[in-house]
Amino acid sequence: MVLRVDPAGASDLDKGVRKLSLFVSLAVVLVIGAALAGCQKGSDTIKIGLAAVQSGSDAQIGATMLDGSQIAIDEWNAKGGVLGKQIETISLDDEANPQKANTVAHNLVDDGVVAVIGHLNSNCTIPASIVYNDAKVLQITPGSTNPKYTEQGFPYAFRICGRDDQQGPVAGKYLHDVLKLNKIAILHNKTAYGEGLATEVKKTFESLGGQVTMFQGIGVDENDFGANISVIQGSGAEGFFWGGMYGQGGPLCVKMRQAGVNIPFVSGDGCFAQPFIDTVGGTAPNVFLSFGKDYHQNPNAAAFIKSYNDKYHQDIGAYSVYGYDAANVLLTAIQQAGTTDPDKVAAVMKSQPFDTILGKVEFDTKGDVKGSGFVMWTIKDGKLQVLPDSP
Amino acid sequence: MSSGSTLTEIVINGISRGAVYALIALGYTMVYGVLGMINFAHGEVFMIGMFACVYAMGVFSVAWGDHVALNLGLGIVVAMIFSAGYGYANERIAYRRLRKAHVLAPLTSAIGISTFLQYFIFLTVSKEKVNFPRYYSDWLTSHGIHFAGVQVTYLQLAILGLSLVIMGALYFLINHTRLGIALRATAQDQLMASLVGIPVDKIIAFTFILGSGLAAIAGVMVAMNNNVLVFDAGYRVGLKAFTAAILGGIGNIPGAVLGAMILGLTEAMTTWGFGSQWDDVTTFAMLMLVLLLRPRGLLGERVADKV
Repeated sequence: MVLRVDPAGASDLDKGVRKLSLFVSLAVVLVIGAALAGCQKGSDTIKIGLAAVQSGSDAQIGATMLDGSQIAIDEWNAKGGVLGKQIETISLDDEANPQKANTVAHNLVDDGVVAVIGHLNSNCTIPASIVYNDAKVLQITPGSTNPKYTEQGFPYAFRICGRDDQQGPVAGKYLHDVLKLNKIAILHNKTAYGEGLATEVKKTFESLGGQVTMFQGIGVDENDFGANISVIQGSGAEGFFWGGMYGQGGPLCVKMRQAGVNIPFVSGDGCFAQPFIDTVGGTAPNVFLSFGKDYHQNPNAAAFIKSYNDKYHQDIGAYSVYGYDAANVLLTAIQQAGTTDPDKVAAVMKSQPFDTILGKVEFDTKGDVKGSGFVMWTIKDGKLQVLPDSP
Repeated sequence: MSSGSTLTEIVINGISRGAVYALIALGYTMVYGVLGMINFAHGEVFMIGMFACVYAMGVFSVAWGDHVALNLGLGIVVAMIFSAGYGYANERIAYRRLRKAHVLAPLTSAIGISTFLQYFIFLTVSKEKVNFPRYYSDWLTSHGIHFAGVQVTYLQLAILGLSLVIMGALYFLINHTRLGIALRATAQDQLMASLVGIPVDKIIAFTFILGSGLAAIAGVMVAMNNNVLVFDAGYRVGLKAFTAAILGGIGNIPGAVLGAMILGLTEAMTTWGFGSQWDDVTTFAMLMLVLLLRPRGLLGERVADKV
């Protein structure tokens, strides 16, 4: 019989006890956490997730887009909320990074949101949509234009803006039919959005009989375009299309002009942002951007712009109206469905038109907007304006 | 425009890009030469140089007006001081105590510092891209000399000239001055160097300060060339410069410049031949090929590793 416990053995035992107590305390924390989360689910608010890029190069477009949704939700809350409950928003930043978007999506689902408004970048929206679909969470993106998002056959995925296979042809036609160009060069940022849009422009331009003399991609963190510009110039292109965001598009346009390349610079909604104009200059000639229709004639637009400026004191951004409309459509559908059950809300969204700042919005069976129109814009007097000769 | 002059332009682009890599690669290679460690935070020091210059020029133009040459010159000096300060602080805080630790410890510390600095600038200075004030760079980027039918801008000439002059100066410093002897002694054996009265800590700190100052110059040049500065600008350029240093033989001063030139030219030629989407593929394929044939890089010496 051992009377004396070996000191080494004792310390091992001691360690074991400490480890055990650590595990126990961790388990207690987890259980309490889970219990609290469970309590929250039964609380008196309806949770909506707001997810988009809010930092880095694309921050301006993403953050203003979510500001728009927040204004709509504040208005609903002031009127008493939806289904008699106040709406609580959880706003997360996906940093325009697909991995981060996936994490954000899981976080929102874990937080018990009934719907998500977001994301902005197509390469974030698409992977996140898989998470939302698996969790039966409604998703409506105000600004992702890559067709794949609604081609996945997800019943809860909606998009309130147009698609790149509508946007690309408008830009391609403008280059060929209105600007009367036969040769263009295309550069894209190798993302789902940039490359997708660039490919659509290429298809359209070639189907109209034009020639694409250069089709290249460049990493999103590359800022030296010197060699690309030499190739553009050497390829004999009469026009140029940039498939990417304003953070690279602005400096690229400036650099082209500095190098004496004054051919038309055409891009899509990713460059439709105040910082782009700030970079290239308010009088930059020969810059054309495809974007949705001008909504400023709609009487509701003025009220929205005023409340946006009162709250945030900055330019409203390209997609804040889309964010505002997306939130309104979603909340109206929830109110009419009388429940947050995603199947019922989705059915309401697909069954009727909604009145928004963007006009009448009606969704097709895929979740896309019917008859969304892209038009061409240009920079004039420091502002973006619709071109009268837009196709 | 004929394809001949396009090729000339591509070559000029490649050389000026290579010269930028060279200025940064010199910092990597010097620290490696003396300490045998890779300073992964070097790219961030380069980025801090960009921001310091632009903000300093803003302050100067408020203080005494828009004198292009004066403000730009002082801006570069401020950038060098800031970057050197950060470089010194990195050495003092993150590396000095780990000098005798396992080789992975300072490496991990360097990666930590790199991430820390990136997000420090991101959170405190700017979350978005900042435009370089073109008032200061327009003349340099739109004027130049004509060479073989294409224009070489003054900025491109300045970048190339600076990297060659600095390479020469460093080579002279290391091989023909008392300070250089102390540097080489420290690189060979820190303990022995300290025994003969060389202030090893000061020599190592000096290496970091010098390398960081060079990175700041590169930062200002890149900011002027690209018209834009951003918190993660150092990541990609730093990685490329590091690759260049390895390619040329890390620890070797002319090797860093040679490797950087080859890298810059390869990237430009790839853009011309295959499209810029192939940049990384060709760059790293070439790196692997060179390392397979010459494991110590192009100009690396065959010496037994002291670690």
